[in-house]
Amino acid sequence: MATADARKCINTNVCGGKTEEDGVEMHGSDCESTSSFNSSDFSDDLEPEWLDDIQKNGELFYLELSEGEEEAALANANQGVATNHVRFSEKEAEILTEQNKKQRCASRTKGEPTLKRLARILRRKRRPSQRKPGAKDGGKENSALSSAPASILKNQPAQRQAVRVQQLKEVCVYLNPKRLAGPLCEGGGLLEALLGVVHRASWGRGLGDPPEVRQEDRLTVHGLIPNSPAIKCGQILIGDVLVAVDDVDVSSENIERVLSCIPGPTQVRLLLETLAQMDDGRAEDTSSVRKTKASPPVSQLVRLLWGEDTAELQMSIAHVPHIVMFLSLKLDSASPQEEEEILYQYPASEASGQLKGVRGIFLTLCDMLENVTGGRILSSSLLLGKQLVHVGYWKESNNLLVIGLPAERVPLLCLQTVVGDVVRTLKVMYGSLDRAFCQADHAPRLDHFFCLFFQLLIQPSRLRDGSSSAPPTDVSGTLFLDGLPAVRWLTLPPEIKMEVDTVLSDFESSDFGEMSEDFFGLRRLYAILGSCLFYKSYLIANHLPKEDLLDVCLYCQHYCLLPLASEQRVGQLVIWREVFPQQRASTNNPGYSQPQGRHFLLIVGLRHFMQCVLLEAGGCASAALGSPGPDCVYVDQVKATLLQLEVLQAGVEERLNAPPAPCLSCADWFLPAARDRLDSLASSSPVFSKLAGAVRGSSGGSRGRSLFGERARRSSPQRSQSDSGSEGQMDAGTSLAPGLSPHSTPDSGRKLGGRRDSLGSGGSEGSGGSGGLFKIPRMKHPNPFFLGTLKKTLTERETEEMYNTMKLTSGAENTLFHYVVMESVQGIFIAPTHREEAQLSGSIHPQLIRNFHHCCLSIRAAFQQSLPTRGRRAADRPQGWGLGPVKEHGVLFQCKPENWTDQRKPAPTMTYWVIGRMLLEPVPQEFYVCFHDSVAEVPVEMAFRLSFGLAL
Amino acid sequence: MMMLQHGSTQLLCLTASSGVPLFTRGASKQLPFSVIGSLNGVHMFGGGHGVVLSSCETEGGGKVVWRVFQDSMMLIVVSGGGQDGAGDSKEDEVRLQRLLENVWSCMVLVLGQDELTNVRNVERLKRDLRSCFSLIDQLLEDRQEGILGNLTHCADSLLPPNPTLLQDAVDGFAQAADSEFGCLIVHGRIAAATEKWWRLAPPEVVLLSALIRSLSASGSASCDYPVFLPQGSPTVAHRLLRFQLLPGADVCVLCGPTPSLHSAESGMVGRFWTPLVETLRDCLAVGEHSLPRSVSLRPDVLALLLINRETRRSVSCVRTSTNRPLGEPPLPSKARCWEILKLFYIFSTTRYFNQEETLCVSPEERAQRGNTDDFVLGFSHQPLHCYLVTEECKSYGLQTPQHQLFVLAPLSVPTFALRTVATQTLSDIVGATGF
Repeated sequence: MATADARKCINTNVCGGKTEEDGVEMHGSDCESTSSFNSSDFSDDLEPEWLDDIQKNGELFYLELSEGEEEAALANANQGVATNHVRFSEKEAEILTEQNKKQRCASRTKGEPTLKRLARILRRKRRPSQRKPGAKDGGKENSALSSAPASILKNQPAQRQAVRVQQLKEVCVYLNPKRLAGPLCEGGGLLEALLGVVHRASWGRGLGDPPEVRQEDRLTVHGLIPNSPAIKCGQILIGDVLVAVDDVDVSSENIERVLSCIPGPTQVRLLLETLAQMDDGRAEDTSSVRKTKASPPVSQLVRLLWGEDTAELQMSIAHVPHIVMFLSLKLDSASPQEEEEILYQYPASEASGQLKGVRGIFLTLCDMLENVTGGRILSSSLLLGKQLVHVGYWKESNNLLVIGLPAERVPLLCLQTVVGDVVRTLKVMYGSLDRAFCQADHAPRLDHFFCLFFQLLIQPSRLRDGSSSAPPTDVSGTLFLDGLPAVRWLTLPPEIKMEVDTVLSDFESSDFGEMSEDFFGLRRLYAILGSCLFYKSYLIANHLPKEDLLDVCLYCQHYCLLPLASEQRVGQLVIWREVFPQQRASTNNPGYSQPQGRHFLLIVGLRHFMQCVLLEAGGCASAALGSPGPDCVYVDQVKATLLQLEVLQAGVEERLNAPPAPCLSCADWFLPAARDRLDSLASSSPVFSKLAGAVRGSSGGSRGRSLFGERARRSSPQRSQSDSGSEGQMDAGTSLAPGLSPHSTPDSGRKLGGRRDSLGSGGSEGSGGSGGLFKIPRMKHPNPFFLGTLKKTLTERETEEMYNTMKLTSGAENTLFHYVVMESVQGIFIAPTHREEAQLSGSIHPQLIRNFHHCCLSIRAAFQQSLPTRGRRAADRPQGWGLGPVKEHGVLFQCKPENWTDQRKPAPTMTYWVIGRMLLEPVPQEFYVCFHDSVAEVPVEMAFRLSFGLAL
Repeated sequence: MMMLQHGSTQLLCLTASSGVPLFTRGASKQLPFSVIGSLNGVHMFGGGHGVVLSSCETEGGGKVVWRVFQDSMMLIVVSGGGQDGAGDSKEDEVRLQRLLENVWSCMVLVLGQDELTNVRNVERLKRDLRSCFSLIDQLLEDRQEGILGNLTHCADSLLPPNPTLLQDAVDGFAQAADSEFGCLIVHGRIAAATEKWWRLAPPEVVLLSALIRSLSASGSASCDYPVFLPQGSPTVAHRLLRFQLLPGADVCVLCGPTPSLHSAESGMVGRFWTPLVETLRDCLAVGEHSLPRSVSLRPDVLALLLINRETRRSVSCVRTSTNRPLGEPPLPSKARCWEILKLFYIFSTTRYFNQEETLCVSPEERAQRGNTDDFVLGFSHQPLHCYLVTEECKSYGLQTPQHQLFVLAPLSVPTFALRTVATQTLSDIVGATGF
């Protein structure tokens, strides 16, 4: 790990600088055509940093966080202090010395706020120094010689200044008190057992250190215990002195106490003093780089992708029953060996051991039921203690893949999709299940694959911990959106889209530089079949056939590459591997047969952009021999393309920042709770109070005779009551406009009002809404059904203007909360962007979206039932009578604000529809919307409006 | 090659401890003994490893569901999928789970719990179990149109035109028979019952109705049948006295040793029911509509199922198609309507609405079948209504604190009007009958 980390760090620095240069160059020449990018610029001067990562079979997974991101990750990790990092401070340590263990536990549980506060203080102090890692290092060096910075090294013993040339280094190690490296012996204590550092106080004098240093107190590393965290991190050297643990100064007196405060697996930062001459053998500059960038804490996901640390994550879900097994159905009864039929199994926890123990059930059922009911087994449900586990099966030739998942994570409704996706991903990666599981050297890679798979399903929140602005995890959302046979698409303005497409096409033509066949007069290595481009997890251009796109996307989904790119975590990403696109593998169209070639997937990510390229060897390119690794020329060419595309980033960003089209409303606006907040806001601000007063003053107005009257009535409490009692009042529901909806989104408000100032404030609590609220009423279009008289006062032209902003729902106000449209033909889906969702913050809205996704799971399952299912299952599923094919399915939900404290009044309620509609004509589409109950919508109409607005 | 035909369902019963097959019902061709053995074997094997196997699904809608009752009896149901049950597997599983519960209750009802849990002589038990077959077959076939109680565990009811007269008569009759439990069954549905009858556990009420239906189908004018109440008194038998008043109308009481069947028949039936013959005829005329004519349903309601969640009673009807204008898509047949209504009920309750399981199912049984409601729990907000548009018709379901209503409407009704149709239907029926 040590060398790996060091290399990463070095790489970051070196290539960070390089790409920046290139970037500058790019900006200067962005108008020139692609062919001007000579790959030699990129490859000749330096050998690529990922070269060492290429594995024997030619595969490469190289991920490097951008420099800025690593710092951000560090800062974020600090923010996450309450959950998974433990920090110590002088204050905390004092408390601990005074109180006994029991109290300590108590203080920890209820003392979280204090911890948070402390963390905040610490963060504030640490921030500036982190921003300039280089300067920090220099400063530290000085500090060791002169005076210590008060924030980190409080109460620094004065004698330390006398130490010769010494440097401080920070080392992050992962500690798990539940798994001690060695037995607790009297001499070493936790220092040895937990950290793996051997310190013998009595040895101190023998080492010949100057006598003025009080050796008894200093924690000199006298030895390292094999396989301990200390030795694994590779940066703690014998002779180093442990100065602080997570900013708490330690000495031989308090080290045991400090270490004993670590409650669970966590990452701690050690501050060590090291002797400069220890670095003798190395060039001065590299050692300083190494010290500057001692591996910063990064999110668990990235660590997982780097292939570190899986044991800890695994342990944390060991109690949740989950398993994957690949079992052989053909048993050689002559030589019955123990567990012979298990070709592959993961993980090896206790709960999964129980499932492994009953593999006989799976084998028997698979064998028997096919004869009984005439169909292959799909799933079974079993109870493990109190936990319900769904087991999905996939039989292929003589082997059986069994995946067991807890029912609370994966409902039976979507188990098949999940299993199907895993199988398809494995097939894309390895060609077939047999090849994936039956080769011995695949086992560690499969372990990694399934570790990711289970982590994502069982504890997605933990993986994203370290990342910024982690939204509360939405398991149903992940299940639903990932389960769609489609990729999230971002519509771009035509001119940008065209440029992107041009750049991609130019790349794909591979008619330049070393990729051109003329260059060397040789056959090219690979033919580019197509590529697709992601920006911040959205697909923005695709030149791949649908099935290939889905294959590529499944791979990206599985390795979480898309969310990674969306958070600007990627400094550089290079992935290369052989793939087996499913459509191409099963060529059965008569007349035309695909060239029999081998396919390779190249994914290159730079900052927010990520391009996936599907290459073909054989066919018209030269055949591939053995397991070729990535070719620098191609990688660099993709990089060049991405750099060229970065020019367009501003345009894409603008699109992301643009007001959502169609407009969205936030669920919270429809609840009187939000109105209360508005009122309170009004009372605090004189301007608002005047406006709000106007609104409230007219609240007695009769049923919407005037525009303002209507507005006021909407915000009156009676309105909410009638809304909650919507039973039997269907028509009333239509007549009653929703609570605070009319302002639609703040952005549409901005558009209507012609002012820009409400933009950006949209995300803040209610104030954005109020910004819209107080601007729109002037321009608001009256409800055509019930304010017929008023309608006449508006000219046609004004009405037109009013509807310029794209609004999906009918009726006066925008009642649309959320939507998902899937185009089955192109394999893409469109949903509001994450940013749009974030802008509509609020307490209810995220809940509503979670609920929407959960409901969509059910709706889609209902649709699936009437469609021939994917792949091999299409043929032999008899068209069941059942409910028959479902075209449209809707559910009406009611929500109440959480923790409603007012005993006198019943909690206000808001009702909304989640409707799914499947269209087979003119093109197969599925579409899901969520809108407020006030307007009776005709979903087909919405569907058409939505799909025409997409402008694909 | 397959052993079970599409659409057929086979029920296997074995002793839980030793795996001795007790009986097999359903399906024309019995599964081979080896298959029965393995089906039981996998479950037992899992039990030994701390894993309880509960269900299994195959392509084409095939399903197997295992349940062990009282640690003594193993019931396995194998469904071949295909035309009949299929559609969504989830739906089918609920149906099969219900079937197993009902079969067990039915065995307890006839034989009593003691005989089933302390098996001394397997051969004798096998012989005794034959007396349940007619009832079990009725549950398995589930062919009787308009009876949804087996599925909903709500008593199928019929709302008579003049309920008070009948209510008084039932109360008086039961009192005279020295019993608190009495009920009047018309067309297989409960038209009136004493308060205590309604206090029985809902599955018991449903099962008793089923028993009475099968007894009355035998054509006898009266009978005296010992019954155990699966939840109320699983070990002590009561007597169920049934008298046919008119063809299609039966009155029953649950009583102790007295009165004798003869004395009750000669002494009381005439006294209480002769004056009410005309009322009973009116009641019979209501027929399968279950609703009195005073309730005017909107013309665009094809079928409906209304459940009172508090009293656990249900009313259901399918309307015979009135003449439709030409050019419109044909309406589903009556049988198909019942089928869709059932499937839609299962669809809605498994995914969105709560089933009132807390009332009638013991906690450990809940745990065993916890999988039926895991999806419902995933919603952060409360589902109120739901609808489905399929190729045959539109279905709309709604739930209020007191009622659940499921309505089928023809395709010609616009989707946005469904809600009005449903809410109006609910208020019409509740307003007119106080159901």
